[in-house]
Order: sequence, then structure tokens, then C-alpha cells
Amino acid sequence: MYLSLNWLKDFVDIPRSVTAEGLGLKLTTHTVEIDDVILQASKYDNIVVGKIKEVKPHPNADKLQLVLVDIGSSEQEIVCGASNIEAKQKVPMALVGAKLPNGVEITAAEIRGVKSKGMLLAEDELGLGSDHLGILILDKNAKVGQNFGEYLGLKDVVYEVDNKSITHRPDLWSHYGMAREVAAFLNTKTTKLFRNLGQADIVADSEDVEINLKVENQDFCPRYMAVVMDSIKIEESPEWLREKLIAVGERPINNIVDITNYVMLELGQPLHAFDARLLKAEFSTDNKVKIGVRQAKKGETITTLDGEKRDLDENMLLITDQAKPVAIAGVMGGENSEINNETTAIVFESANFEFVSIRKTSAALGLRTEASKRFEKALDPNLCEQALKRTIELINKVCPSAKIVSQVADEKKFKLNQGPIELDLNWLNGFIGQEIKKEKIVNTLVSLGFGVTNKKNKLLVSVPTWRATKDVSIKEDLAEEVARIYGYDNLEFKMPLVKMKAPEINKERQFEREVKNVLVGQGAMEVKNYSFVGEEQLKKLGVEHNKHIRLVNPITKDAGLLRQSLATNLLLNVKTNQARFENFEIFEIGNVFLEVDGNYHKNKSDKDALPMQVKRLGTLVAGEDETNIFGRAKGVVSLLANYFHLPIKYEVMETGPAWAKGGHNARIIIAGAALGTVSRASRECKRKNNIKKAVAIVELDLDKLYRAVNAQGDYSYEEFARFPALTRDLAFVVSEKVLYNDIRDEISGFSELIKKVELFDVYQGEKLGPGKKNLAFHVVYQTERTLTGEEVDGVQNDLIKRLKERFEAQIRDF
Amino acid sequence: MKDEIIKIKEEILAELKKVKESEALGNLETKYLGRKGKLTVLLKQIAGLSDEEKKEIGRLANQTKKEMISKFKEIKSVISGKGEDTFVDVTLPGEKRVLGHLHPVTIVQNELEDLFKSMGFMVLDGPELESDYFNFEALNIPSHHPARDMQDTFYVATPHPNPLPHPQPLSFARRGESKERGQEETNVDQSDMVMRTHTSPVQVRGMLKYGAPLRCVAPGRVFRAEAIDAVHEHTFDQMEGLMVDENISISNLIAVMKELINGIFGREVETRVRPGYFPFVEPGIELDIKCTICNGSGCPGCKHSGWLEILPAGQVHPKVLEYGGIDPDKYSGFAFGLGLTRLAMMKYKINDTRLFNSGDLRFLRQF
Repeated sequence: MYLSLNWLKDFVDIPRSVTAEGLGLKLTTHTVEIDDVILQASKYDNIVVGKIKEVKPHPNADKLQLVLVDIGSSEQEIVCGASNIEAKQKVPMALVGAKLPNGVEITAAEIRGVKSKGMLLAEDELGLGSDHLGILILDKNAKVGQNFGEYLGLKDVVYEVDNKSITHRPDLWSHYGMAREVAAFLNTKTTKLFRNLGQADIVADSEDVEINLKVENQDFCPRYMAVVMDSIKIEESPEWLREKLIAVGERPINNIVDITNYVMLELGQPLHAFDARLLKAEFSTDNKVKIGVRQAKKGETITTLDGEKRDLDENMLLITDQAKPVAIAGVMGGENSEINNETTAIVFESANFEFVSIRKTSAALGLRTEASKRFEKALDPNLCEQALKRTIELINKVCPSAKIVSQVADEKKFKLNQGPIELDLNWLNGFIGQEIKKEKIVNTLVSLGFGVTNKKNKLLVSVPTWRATKDVSIKEDLAEEVARIYGYDNLEFKMPLVKMKAPEINKERQFEREVKNVLVGQGAMEVKNYSFVGEEQLKKLGVEHNKHIRLVNPITKDAGLLRQSLATNLLLNVKTNQARFENFEIFEIGNVFLEVDGNYHKNKSDKDALPMQVKRLGTLVAGEDETNIFGRAKGVVSLLANYFHLPIKYEVMETGPAWAKGGHNARIIIAGAALGTVSRASRECKRKNNIKKAVAIVELDLDKLYRAVNAQGDYSYEEFARFPALTRDLAFVVSEKVLYNDIRDEISGFSELIKKVELFDVYQGEKLGPGKKNLAFHVVYQTERTLTGEEVDGVQNDLIKRLKERFEAQIRDF
Repeated sequence: MKDEIIKIKEEILAELKKVKESEALGNLETKYLGRKGKLTVLLKQIAGLSDEEKKEIGRLANQTKKEMISKFKEIKSVISGKGEDTFVDVTLPGEKRVLGHLHPVTIVQNELEDLFKSMGFMVLDGPELESDYFNFEALNIPSHHPARDMQDTFYVATPHPNPLPHPQPLSFARRGESKERGQEETNVDQSDMVMRTHTSPVQVRGMLKYGAPLRCVAPGRVFRAEAIDAVHEHTFDQMEGLMVDENISISNLIAVMKELINGIFGREVETRVRPGYFPFVEPGIELDIKCTICNGSGCPGCKHSGWLEILPAGQVHPKVLEYGGIDPDKYSGFAFGLGLTRLAMMKYKINDTRLFNSGDLRFLRQF
């Protein structure tokens, strides 16, 4: 929203010592965020007054002319198509580099073979009106070379208000409301105009017309006021009115439309003007105007002022005449009752609509207007009256022929909670954290329109109607008023005095950090992927997508489902990087979302659970060598398990994730529990997804891993063995189908003397023959006495026998 | 025998001192340690000794032999120049080691968690898929509150829809004015779950779990239904903070916020405080810092205002305290929000927010 400084000055005295920039800063620190302070004249930077020296025909085009223009510092030749120009005229000229109010930027151009360095401007291009028939001819006495803004005498300053910062303040969508704030924080006075604005009673010139008003749903329309005026002449608005509208970015249209816009910008109350004759055919015969306010019917339609046909439903509120809808209440008027150049009788509507209904309607129609923006903030129903009175004042001023030909219709039903709120000054000073003088507190509240009465060390504060719709209702709201007008930066800042207390440690998060550090320490890079996956993406990976929780309103189709695995997006990371990186390891720690009940509840009761959200660790290794990629991935997770002193092993998993079908899959068993999987992407998956690397992925349930670490408690030191260990190496060839797990379990469980079994070599190759592998182990024997070589050899021989029997192992000599 | 061994040892040491070149050293080695060398021959005689002598002399002999061998080696390396005198290109790189990298947001998050822990704050977690109740209602953002306009919310489809009406919210992290998305509106009404639009729901969850007094921060991922470009992301990270105790004032709030900012930037930073609006605080403030790029003179980074919005905060709304099961007559407190992604962008001068979730290693390996 834009605020004009000149307009504010109508309502509040601003001391000379306060600069325009200074006022902008004060608005920001006390009331609303000002995004920009715009000197109005700067709108016409690089647009100057030029004097036409010569006009001659364009050599290559009949409809164009070459114009030589004196701009004071130099003379410029330009190409121009307008027919209303001749030598000696003074005209507005945009130089190269100028940016017109309509956004067009002027550059040097060649038009039909002639260079043109600038452009002569019409009224509409200057944002001054709608005329595009010819170049705007300026006053004879205009100074050549003068900035066009200066020529116009533009001295206004415009503030761009950040609309987000006034969502809670219906009263601040206007110059009037802002002026009240300015008076409060500058500690200055409002003007006589401020106090008198829209206060005079409306006196009807006649009661020729009867308004028959029926508001069906007063919850949705707490107040509806209407009055009929006749003998109106539609024409252009006077200069002062146009100027103000232009300053805040509104395009003047005609006196009636301009006045309704003016009042809205001034007071914040949206108004609507209907052509009374268009409201119903019989108007001229029986002199009755019938206005209804009702909910729309399903299937009903209306064509709004913007020419769009709108489908309506029961949640939308309509303004109707006897026969048809004529406006969508509080959002936009209908085309069928629009003011036109022949209009002479007008019904002015000044009404209040319930904010939720406006919000819903506006959202459902995808139609957000200046009116709906204000109504959805919950406007004060009392404002209708002030605005209607102000409208009449302005109509009388701008269109003296106009007559009020009806009584004011006014249907209302509303109740505002104006308090009073009890404000304990001790509490207030404690809450702000600083003693503020009672006089200052009272002044602040009064200048903002609050009513204040004393009650010992308390104040009884009544809330003004324009703050009572939703904005101010509790003592904390009042504390804000006092503190912000005092100025937050003017407070003395004091550290809180609290009891020292060591914070409870979030061990899960500490654990997560440790995991990341271990992985980074051995060369992996952390990625963060979206929590969303797409249907197509899953289909390509062969993953079932029907059981995924989905977004109701995704931004794009490829991010419409909540991920159930980290692997799916990690696979995309391979595509991102495969062209530039030969080998890489990446990991992500993040949540997956499963369609079963989780640990968090939806509300305070213990009944409704949110879907399960599990923290996972995904690690992906990618490289050129397909044969070792699975082992590399396992290496990462083994390292992690070792770091936390947890035993780890891998078990056969018949079915892995779809993308690893035909690849390799194993279940990861840490401390006896299945905590995750490791899989190698299948050739088919890689082909379908254009993945050019060997890829294996580990996915672990991080919460469970944490619990496993936590369950073992503190790791305790182990004393050195008192008796020496004897190590025997053992190598043998078995069928490749025989699992390492089975062999290892067999060896380690074979004798109590065997303390440790460590695989140190795996070999497969031609020498062994097809389908065979050679495994080599260190077997460590140790017990609570010194073992002799003979004893160990004996056990080892029995072990060899056992391996031969069970696995058909062929022992190899060293 | 023992004496002989010692004698030969001294002989060798004396001769070694004189040696200056490798040839002479080689000869000396043959003379004493070769197959027919003096020491070798002497040691062979040990075999003929009695068991007791063997034990004693044997040990001495072995030790001497070892000592001499290493002495020869040492001198050999000095003479051959393989020692400290030879030229080595010390500028060569060291042995190659692989280094991993933390994500920049993780780095910033870790730093902030540590800062807050040092000030006595707990670090809390909450669900990313959150209920409408905790994301909005318990934060004093009822259905159709205008504040819901200020955020675009991802609604989540439930297996068994539980109809609850609502459009959109507001939080400490801000975005542009909302877009119109008429068509989805009807479907949205069927869902009572959202991807959390801010970390603020952890405030209420934290209060319910721990009560007052309470000091906590909640870092994590948040979501906005927003099209992505260089400055907009639908997925980013925030850190919520909350302090509840007796007699916590606005003055306390600002004092702590200033201290936090100094802690985050590691130096005294100029700030200003202005009113801000967030439904779950009353009053709400915005703490701005002097633009870190132009130092206040105005630049595109601060939209020529000289200030950067960095810390939205405020006194916890009494209704929110009540939702958290805390008596607002006895306790007061403040809450604040920090954009982790935003701080990472400032810290590393990252100008495109899409990089964070891109998985592009050219980006990630820089941290």
C-alpha cells in the first residue's frame, strides 16, 4: 500500500524538523514497515520539458515524422508518429534511460533507418490519464530542459508500506488511520479536518426514492448502509483529487469512481456505486430500489466488473436487486450495474462484511481486490457511517448538482468488545521491563484513541471501535501500544535474572552429529535432499507409489509424495554428479514418512497419532568398479558400527528394494537387531534411470541405531590378556554358495579356545575353477593359561575336519 | 670370551669413527661382520661352550651383533647421503587423504546449537509432518486468521480424512504475499495435517513436555508451498527459540536477542528493533542488523535500506502459554526464530537458495 505524505498532512501536523526520510524511519520503528520512500518527482527521472524545433516527414515511412527537439543542453532528433505536434510546442520528452510510469524503458532505437534517441510522451504514458490520442502539449512558459516532475510541481513523497506488517491492523489500511499513528509517535496534533471528517449528518434533499433493504444473513453482513443520489453528472475529477490518486498509484477514471476510491484510501472503507437505473427496470416507474444481501445459490453466476464470468456457491455472499445478483459482496461489483458515462442516479453502498466469509470467497474465486483485502482484516462496522458521510461531502464538493433523493438505509447487527481492559501499571512496567511514567502511558493510549480512566494504581482502558474487531483485547496488546510508541530502541536492555541450570542434553542429536562426523572423517559428503518424491520417479525405479502419504497441494508433480526411503533421492544425486566425479560417497540424515501411527500426537490427547516419521541414515557409494561397490558400501557401515563398539554382520535378504532387484541385497544386523539394508543398484534400474556408475546404498534406521548404542551403556575398558595368544592361519576353497556367515559362525563356535576369527582374504578366479572361492582366516586361540602349540594344532586339525565335512572345504597349504 | 667380544666391539667403534666413504665402510663390514669376519668367527665359538656360559655369553654376543649391525647401517646412511643433507622437494604435497564435508546448514546449525547450549538452552526436536493443531491453532492462529495468508502451506492427505476447515498461516520466517491458489482450496479443507511451515510448533510441544521454567531451541526443516527460484525454496531450515520463566520482560527479550546476534556473528553488531506481527507473540518485534554487506549505506542485498531483517521475536502470547499448559499469570517468556538457511547464505555469501538441496558436489565439497 502507498501512503502520500501530502495526504497525511491533511490529518496531522508534521513538524518541519521531521524530514520525509525521517518520518519513514519512524513509521518503521513505531508502527509499520516502510519498504521504500519515493520522492514523487523521481518518477519522472530522465523525462524533461523539450521544445520542438522542427518537424519533417520520415524519409522511409508515411505515418512517421522526424522531430528535432531542444532539451536545453542539446538538440535531439527523434522519430514520432503523433499527428498533433508542430514546431515551437513544448512537450514532455523521455530521454534514453528513462523508465516510464507504465514500466517501459526508453532505449536508443533505429526506426525505419533513422536513429531515434528518445520519445515524446502522451498523457497515459506519463501515468496522468487515459488519453493516448496525441502528445501532451505543455504550457508555453514551461522551462526547456526542466525535469517533468518539477514542471508538474510534484513535491509529494510516497511511502511504500509492507502489507504483511498491517495484516492485523484493519485501521491502518488508510491515510486516516496512519495519521493517528503519526500523531501518537511524533507527539503532535491531528488537524481539524481529521476531527471533522465524515461527521456531518446526511440530510436528504428529498425522499422521492424508497430503499427497500433486506439483509438475510446478518452474521455475514453486520452492517449495510445505502443512499441514493440523483442528478449526477459523470465527468473527470478535479485536479486535486486526481493528483492524490495518482500519487498513491491509482488511475483516475471518473468523478464517482474516483470518489469511492478516494474514500477507501482515506478511511479504509471500501464503497460501491451502483447505477440506480440498472438495478432494476421499474426504477423510473415506482421509484423503489430493492437491495438484498443473501448467500449465493449453487450454480448461480455473475459477470464481474473485470468482464469475467464467475461461478458462485453457497459460501459466497451476494448483493442483489429485485431480480438478479449485482455484486459479489465485498469483493467486486457486477458488470450489469456498473457506472457509465450516462449514469445520473447512483446507489452508494457502504457496508461491512464478515472477514472469514470474504476471505473464503476471495480465495475460492481467486479474486483478491483492494476491497476484499480490507474486509478480510475485519473492519469496524462503525466506519461505514463515517465513510458514507465523507462520500456525500465529497460528492457535494465535486458534483454540486447531485441531490440526495432517499433516506439513508442502515441495517446493522454487531457487537464489539471494547473492554474496558484493566491495566495494572505495576504489571505493565514489569512486563515492559522499565518504569514508564503514568502520564506518558495515558498520553500514548489516548492519542491512539483509547479511553482511559483511573482506578488507583490501575487504568481502565476502553478500546476504540476501529481496534476492537479483533486486534486489541488483552492487556498484553496494550503493553505493545505503550512500548512501541515509547520506542523499543529507547528501552534500557536488561538481561533476565534466572536460576542457573545445566540444560538437558539431547543425546539423539548429539549422536546424529557424531555419526555425521564419523562419515565425513572417512571421506563422505553430506547432502540434503527434498522430503518429497514424484510418482514418475518412483515408477522408473519400480517402487510402489500407492502407499505413500501425499501432499494435497504439491507445487509440482515430481514432488507430490512424502518419501519412504532416502535411497530414491540419493539415486538422483548420482545423476547430478556422475559426469564430473569418478568416485564419491554421499550421505543424508533425514526423515521418512510411513503410513502407520508414529510417536507424535496430533493434539494434547494421546489418541490421534501423526504418521510415523523415522530418522534414517542413507549412504551411497558410487564408482567405476561394479565388483567392489557392494563391499565399499558395507565398509562405511562397518566402520560406523566399529566406532560405536557394536558388532555388525550382514544377512542374506531375498528381496531388496525394487531398484536393486537382481543386484545384491543384504540385511544389516547390528547388535543382534536388523537396523537396515545394503543394496546394489541393478543393471536394469541403472539403464532405465540413466545411471552410469556402479552404485550401492546403505539405509539404516538411525533411531534404532541410537537405541542400540544407548542400550550398551558406557563402554568399559578391557584388561589386557595375561596369557599369550596363538594365531593359526586357515585357507580353504569352498563353493561360492557357501556363506561367510555360516563358516565364520562354525569356526568361532567350534572351540572355547578360539577367541577371534578374522577373514583376511577372499579370492575367486580361474585357478580355482568355476563356482569356487578361496577364503583365508586368521584364527586366534587364547584362554586363561598358556596354550601349547600341540594343543592348538590339535583343535585346528579337528576344525579342518569339520569344515571338510560341513562345507566340503578343500584346505590349502601355506 | 666375554672380554674378547667387548674388545672387538670397541675396535669396530674406533674404526668406524675414521670411515669417511662407503667403500671403506664396506671393507670394514666384511672384516668384522662378513661370513669370515672377526666377530662372526668369534660368535661361532660360542657353540662349544658349556650350557651355563652359553646362556650368559650368548646374550651378550647377540646384543653386540645387533648393535654393530645397526651402527653400520646408521653410518652407511650418513655416508651415502640419504640422511638430512640430501635435497628433498619439501614443497611436494603430502600423501593424499580423502576428506568429507558437512552440509553448510549443518555447520551453521551446529554452531548455533553450541551457542545456545552454552546459554543454558535445551535442543528439542519435533515432527516435520505436523498437525494443523500444533502448527496453527495452538499458536493462536485459528482457521481463517488473516495471518494464515502470510504462508503457503503444504497440506497432507490422510488415509482417513478428518475434515477440518482452514487455509494458510504465518510464522517467524517470512515470505512474500501469498498467491492465489483457488482450486486446491477445497481439497485442502479435508486435511488436518501439514508439512510444518515453521519450527514454532515445537514451542508448544516443548512447553507441554517440560513445563516452566524452560529454555529451548528447536532447529529443523520447514516447508512452504512455493515455487522455487534463486530466492525462494519450498524446503529450508529454521531454528526456533523459547524462554519461559518468571518476570521475563520485553527489555529482557531485546537484551538476550542482542546478545544472541553478537554471539552468532562473533562481534558487536549494530541492531534496531521495530514492531512486527506474529499471532503467537504479543507484542511481536523484528530485530534488524546493520547490513553486513554495505554496512548500512544501502545495497541490493538490503534493498537499499541499510538493514537486514534477521530475528523476528516477541513475548509469548498468553494463549500460547495456556496451550502449552503454562499459567500466563505466573510466567511470561519470549520466542524467536532464526533462518538457518538464510544465515548460511549470509555466512558463505551464497546467492542461490536452490544449491542447498541440489546434491551438487561442486557446491557441497566447498564446506
